[in-house]
Amino acid sequence: MLASSVQQSKPAPYPSKVRSAFVRRTVVVVLVLGALTLLTISFRSPASGALHDLQGIGSSALRPFQIAATRVATPFRDAYDYVDSLTRAKSENARLRKQVSAYKAAYLNARAAATQLPALEKLLRYEQGPTFPKDFGAVNARVISWSSSPFAHQLTIAAGSSSGIQRNSPVLSGDGLVGRVVNVFPDSAIVTLLTDAQSYVTARDLQTGVRGIVHRGPGGTLILDDVKKQEVVQSGDQLVTDGTRNPRYPDLYPFGIPIGRVSSVDVTDTATFLQVQVQPFANLGSLDSVAVLVAAKHKR
Amino acid sequence: MTLGDGVKAAVLLFVASIAQVSIFSDLHVFGAVADLLLVTLVAVALLRGSVVGAVGGFFAGLLVDTASLGTLGLTSLVLTLAGYWIGRYGETTGRDRAHAPFLSVAVITVLYELGLLVVHFVLGESAPAGVVVRQLLPAVILNLILTAPIYALARRLLRPPSTDTLSAEVQLLGQ
Repeated sequence: MLASSVQQSKPAPYPSKVRSAFVRRTVVVVLVLGALTLLTISFRSPASGALHDLQGIGSSALRPFQIAATRVATPFRDAYDYVDSLTRAKSENARLRKQVSAYKAAYLNARAAATQLPALEKLLRYEQGPTFPKDFGAVNARVISWSSSPFAHQLTIAAGSSSGIQRNSPVLSGDGLVGRVVNVFPDSAIVTLLTDAQSYVTARDLQTGVRGIVHRGPGGTLILDDVKKQEVVQSGDQLVTDGTRNPRYPDLYPFGIPIGRVSSVDVTDTATFLQVQVQPFANLGSLDSVAVLVAAKHKR
Repeated sequence: MTLGDGVKAAVLLFVASIAQVSIFSDLHVFGAVADLLLVTLVAVALLRGSVVGAVGGFFAGLLVDTASLGTLGLTSLVLTLAGYWIGRYGETTGRDRAHAPFLSVAVITVLYELGLLVVHFVLGESAPAGVVVRQLLPAVILNLILTAPIYALARRLLRPPSTDTLSAEVQLLGQ
């Protein structure tokens, strides 16, 4: 008997619970139907009808409450607006400062480019002019650094062997000879200036045809050396590169590249040669861009 | 639910409706608007059940539609369903759970916004789904921020009912 199962009937729900669920569902259904009815009437006649009038009355009745709420909220809203505008002003200020910095940088770049323009134009005129050495092409390059060493007058340019530049290639500006390439890297090269102690250039006086060697003299000045006393060189004469005289010993520089102007000529009893001081055409102290002469077949 | 409770709930929802229409509807934060009325309705429905939630939602929606001169019944319909659904959640699984208000507000905010979108769409009115979806997350966050103080206030005004007055459809064995 103890083990036998007792058949139990399914418990009937409490009447109160049934009523509660019924009421709940009825309420929600009635409300949803009411809302749908209002929605339908309001949608079908949005600008007229009894419901519209009732809505107007209701809105008017609620208006004082809305005004009161707005008045209560006004100080808080003002405070919020103040903080909001302050935040926006700050972010706008930061954005404008950034813009000003960018414009300043652009302005400086433009100014820098404008200052380089005359030199570049001069260089271009020289390259396209009749005095440009034949059988040579020009690789234009920006000067990217200057040697700060007191022992070497050098600068680095932003073009190298990938542009066809080779060691000992002549380098010039729109005004005249600058120097020659002494070291080449794929995308850069080092140029020794005329004023370097290791620089020697055979030169010719265009007016008198006198030949000599331009190199650095005492005190860092440029001189025309190896000019005998009996030769005639006058102040103001123009010097150009002499070029190759013996094909067996080709010169590094082709004929006709302007070097400088004779600034003074002195003769002393003790000296073997004339003391000719030369003022270079190229402004070697402020070069921004140069042209490197490369043999036409090497130019890429 | 006593008459006093009903009055308190009605006053709470009335104030929330007026505040929503007058203050919060113009207060855009990250492109979204905090819905004080919805949060209050969730609190009332959780504390007082589905019938109060549905009735409160209906009349609060009616107030909003009347005050804003919108299409009558539109907000009522959505808030009625929202109040009923949250009330049922409070009567059953959400009972005595600390996270219930936050979960309810987060879920109902999404459903409410989407519900309004659907109703507007069905009525042939402007229903910019992209804008609504983009504003969902900020709206949920804003409503969640409001949840704690509003629920605390509602709980203070409407003390939770004793267990025997709650709907007992989820009845524990042995009780």
